Amino acid sequence: MSSRNHAPATDPDQLHDQFNAVWGNPKGWRALTIVNHTTIGLRFMLTGAVFFLFGGLLAMLIRTQLALPNHEFMEPDVYNQVFTMHGTVMMFLFAVPMMEGMAVYLIPKMLGARDLVFPRLSALGYYCYLFGGLILITSLFLDLAPKAGWFMYTPLSSAAHTPGPNSDFWLIGITFVEISAVSAGVELVVSILRTRASGMALHKMPIYAWYILVMAMMIVVGFPPLILGSILLELERAAGMPFFEVARGGDPILWQHLFWLFGHPEVYIIFLPAAGIVSTLLPVFCQRPLVGYRWVVLGVLTTGFISFGLWVHHMFTVGIPQLAQLFFSAASMLVAIPTAVQVFAWLATLWQGKPVYHVPMLWLVGFLIVFVCGGLTGVMLALVPFDWQVHDTHFVVAHMHYVLVGGMFFPMMAGIYYWLPHFSGRMPSVRLGKWGFWLVFIGFNVTFLIMHWTGLIGMPRRIYTYQTGLGWDIPNLISSVGSFIMAIGVATILLDIILHFRFGQPAKVNPWRADTLEWATSLPPSAYNFVSLPAIHSRHPLWDNPGLPDSIARGEHELAVVDHGRRETWGTDPLTGKVREIIHLPGNSWIPLIAALFIAAMCISLLVKVYWLAAVFFAAAVLTLLRWSWENGTHPLAAPDARVQPGEPPLHSRTLDGPGLWGMGVTLLANGALYLALLFGWFYLWTVAPNWQMPQHIPFNQWLLLASAVLLSLATWWQARAIKRLRHGNAQGLRGHLALVACLGLGQSGLLLWTLLGGELAPRATAHDAVIVVVLIYSLLHCALAATLSALQAIRVHCGYVGAHAPYEPLVVGHLWYYNLGVLWSSYFALVLFPSTWGGSG
Amino acid sequence: MKGLRSPYHPGHIPLGLVFWSLWFVALYGGLSVACALAPPEPEQGPWNWLNALLGVSALLTAAALAALAIWCWRAGKPQPSPGHQRFVALLAAGTYGVATVATLVIALPILSLPPCM
Repeated sequence: MSSRNHAPATDPDQLHDQFNAVWGNPKGWRALTIVNHTTIGLRFMLTGAVFFLFGGLLAMLIRTQLALPNHEFMEPDVYNQVFTMHGTVMMFLFAVPMMEGMAVYLIPKMLGARDLVFPRLSALGYYCYLFGGLILITSLFLDLAPKAGWFMYTPLSSAAHTPGPNSDFWLIGITFVEISAVSAGVELVVSILRTRASGMALHKMPIYAWYILVMAMMIVVGFPPLILGSILLELERAAGMPFFEVARGGDPILWQHLFWLFGHPEVYIIFLPAAGIVSTLLPVFCQRPLVGYRWVVLGVLTTGFISFGLWVHHMFTVGIPQLAQLFFSAASMLVAIPTAVQVFAWLATLWQGKPVYHVPMLWLVGFLIVFVCGGLTGVMLALVPFDWQVHDTHFVVAHMHYVLVGGMFFPMMAGIYYWLPHFSGRMPSVRLGKWGFWLVFIGFNVTFLIMHWTGLIGMPRRIYTYQTGLGWDIPNLISSVGSFIMAIGVATILLDIILHFRFGQPAKVNPWRADTLEWATSLPPSAYNFVSLPAIHSRHPLWDNPGLPDSIARGEHELAVVDHGRRETWGTDPLTGKVREIIHLPGNSWIPLIAALFIAAMCISLLVKVYWLAAVFFAAAVLTLLRWSWENGTHPLAAPDARVQPGEPPLHSRTLDGPGLWGMGVTLLANGALYLALLFGWFYLWTVAPNWQMPQHIPFNQWLLLASAVLLSLATWWQARAIKRLRHGNAQGLRGHLALVACLGLGQSGLLLWTLLGGELAPRATAHDAVIVVVLIYSLLHCALAATLSALQAIRVHCGYVGAHAPYEPLVVGHLWYYNLGVLWSSYFALVLFPSTWGGSG
Repeated sequence: MKGLRSPYHPGHIPLGLVFWSLWFVALYGGLSVACALAPPEPEQGPWNWLNALLGVSALLTAAALAALAIWCWRAGKPQPSPGHQRFVALLAAGTYGVATVATLVIALPILSLPPCM
């Protein structure tokens, strides 16, 4: 590896100009091309805040309708749309994106990195979120909004009972938004594991990064079941494939399983990053380290896993065996323990420190009170007999708001106040901030504490009005008054935040005397975060060395030369934090916006049922994404010049490891979760669906499927052989090998297509055949993609972008081949061998 | 570092809870399938072949997890090892320990209820 030797400048202004030339944000229309995490994170948060205000407005409408008995403020149909959209907006368009936006903004800064590993993916994620959200919101103004509740239970949401496009808006819009959530999840996982500051070993990571790592992994594994459920329900509604229809062998309870497999972890996906804010802020305002760091990490990990074992507690009344209910009841109680470990760590930190009650601390104390109450009613609901009593009443609504508002909104507000100097360079106002807090705190408790009683005396949720004389009049009126007090509080906070941009005191360096690296940037930060990347020796770099912001700005640390024109950050070992390579990052681009626009156009075409147009936009989106992948590695628009400073490690694209490899791995994990959910659906319907119909013989040519699997095995083996040689520096004949692999893949995909089209499958007649069709299409799409990517790799070898000097990309594609191999053989087992041995088809 | 044969491998951090998750899915799935194919008589109460099978699976899983917890705990105790190695081993011991307790707690209802009611 050749090197270049330029002495770095030391004047902060000169360095800033140099870095800004490479990292700076364009103005005007070109601002739409920005990909850096600071801007994208802010856009996520700003958009989330707008959706929050919209969702809050819907809540006001609900409370106005319920304030009085027999109130005719809204028609029942409008009310159904409003409460469905309130839940949907708050959960999918506010809570998750807001928490992800904060993480996207903060994580690289806390880790001492210059950006996330896949900046263009961040931008794509944002646009998918924005467009998906807008599609969903538009439905309300067209009087076509979803109206089956935010969890869209079948059969109410099915075509028979909701025939218009209302449910389609939810299914397509939410799936679109979830692309954003999963892509951010993948990116955060890889960034936390691979781009930490030099020396930041796993045990020196900021505690917030642990929370976000667990949250991101939960998104990666937890969202795909809902994505699958939405695809299946949309296929049922649009194409008549009866996955959830009892008469044709489906089962509506399958939807509930798929939804809550996502839905319960979702609560913790929202809560954990908020708890991460608490664990970050409390030590700062107590001026002492968090008590029990390792215990808190253990608690976070445990919460993340156990939260996946609770989903059936949302389904205690659907007729599941009592013993199974008790398994989930026990798990539901168990999850309170790791949460309690964190609460005790926070209390111990408060106890041992000298707390300063600034505005963020008020929100933290409010969080502790409200969330602990919500947690306790959660333990009550984990008890099956109690759950049966209050199921579908306002008690559950109150509990949910205590957990979600207490567990997410309060810490989020603490975080917003704490990091305001980051966004504006100014400090918040104390007086208005305190007014805002107290109004929200009082309004919230008046609304939802009372609502527990409303539920206990029997008021069901989702009813649009009620008769007088049932004892519900006064508590409902009080809840409505409380909600308006809360709304005034939110308006006060909004005013405070807007005013502080004009009147706030300019923030000093590290204004809260914090310990984490995000306060070592300028305020507000520049697009590159840090001119030079410091080595880290403890969890509290700014307490150890308060002069770090200055020395970073003077370029006294590593990677302070930028005359090569590349955007760079360290690639470090996931465990030890030792520097392994330089990760070069892509710059601003129109591609993410264009790809998101094509996907949005595809979604709209699906909504209006112009399927040929949807297919055109799908193809356009795929081509755009392939074009995106072309500008990579040694491509002239990526990093054609591999020279580095003496003593520095090589660029990642010239190694055998790098973020793309990890990104592919984590993406396939998400993909695998979706496929496993599909297999779960197959076996679930097989076992439980009352009218599951097994044909006399397998309704497709099993030999064709076997031949396809064998051919895929051969192609994967050939690909692995080529990669093995490449790992040893031997790229001889690489282009031919990759081209051969692509041809084998194409042939194998052809066999799969033949299996699909040449059989007697009747996907509209039975759920059995419908599931088989989805499994085969899933494999077909993946195999065709792998063949295409290998063909592209062969062309890239021909162009000189891939070879012994840059062996990285075929390794990334290789992961997909292995995955496809596992999927196709599993499908063969599930669709051919299992039915032959367990009765039914032969 | 010798892969997962070393207690200092970071893969051990989530592994205990991954095992627990797999066991939990097998427990729920196995119960559902068994109840669909060959449900024991409700009159037998909790003492029947299915509950016995579920209970044994819980005990075996818990025993394996506990052994792994002890193994990691012992590896993490000596002070001279590098900080990140101790951290990994002790955290892994914690997650294996939690998984052990979670397995036993969730299996407790097997002692009190017939499986398919």
